[in-house]
Amino acid sequence: MGKNVLLVDDSSTMRKIVGRSLRQAGLDFDNIFEAADGIEALEVLENEHVDIVLSDINMPNMDGISFLREKQSRDNVKDIPVFMISTETGDDIIGEAKSLGALGAIKKPFTPDKVNEVLGPLM
Amino acid sequence: MEIEDKIIDATKEIFSSMVMMEIEVKEVMEDHGPLTDTITGLIGLAGTHKGVLGIHTPYHVAMAITSSFLGMDVDEINEDVHDAVGELANMLGGNVKSILSEKGRDIDLSLPSTIAGSQYNFQSDKQVEKIIIRFDTGQGDFMVELDLEK
Repeated sequence: MGKNVLLVDDSSTMRKIVGRSLRQAGLDFDNIFEAADGIEALEVLENEHVDIVLSDINMPNMDGISFLREKQSRDNVKDIPVFMISTETGDDIIGEAKSLGALGAIKKPFTPDKVNEVLGPLM
Repeated sequence: MEIEDKIIDATKEIFSSMVMMEIEVKEVMEDHGPLTDTITGLIGLAGTHKGVLGIHTPYHVAMAITSSFLGMDVDEINEDVHDAVGELANMLGGNVKSILSEKGRDIDLSLPSTIAGSQYNFQSDKQVEKIIIRFDTGQGDFMVELDLEK
């Protein structure tokens, strides 16, 4: 049985590209949910069953770091694993994301192989 | 390696792995004239390095890039084209930030935005050092421009 993934990115193009990369990587997701910022992402987490979150960092309204912080404060969703997918891959900002529960980061640009390498072990 | 070479490498990697297009450097320029029938994706840099990064794509090139990026036919300058060109600027901006600042905390990036028009100028009112690289996609040229305040 496949899992459900939530893609969080303010760019609709990037959400499509990430979704395509997941399929090309051969990862078996039943549902791919989408959100344009951290606020929408929290709404999806509260209302849908999500197994893995892939989130951008640099977003309007609620960025990826604030999303992680808010998610950590909610007992019902805090254990859902999150990977960051972002151009922001400096040690400091990724360190902050990890301290707020992110499991790791995938740097844009990426290939389906890279997506598979990072997410495959969780499937 | 010079910043210019790193921007070239980063742009080629983004196009190869995400846009599914192989591109070549056509020329490195010191300036360019008014932009015609073009959409520009731009992202601002603030902090230890201040400036702006732009990717100038003529309409027909922007549609070709978006078609390849999304894997679907695009025949007008629509929301998808603006989003795709903005995202290209975002990815390039992230790479430029990494080039200029390894730790990443001393430069902040703006959110990407786009401008488009039949003719416009792209120039700063500050004294800037310009790096402009023209690339050939095989379906037309586009330019990547980094303007950093002196």
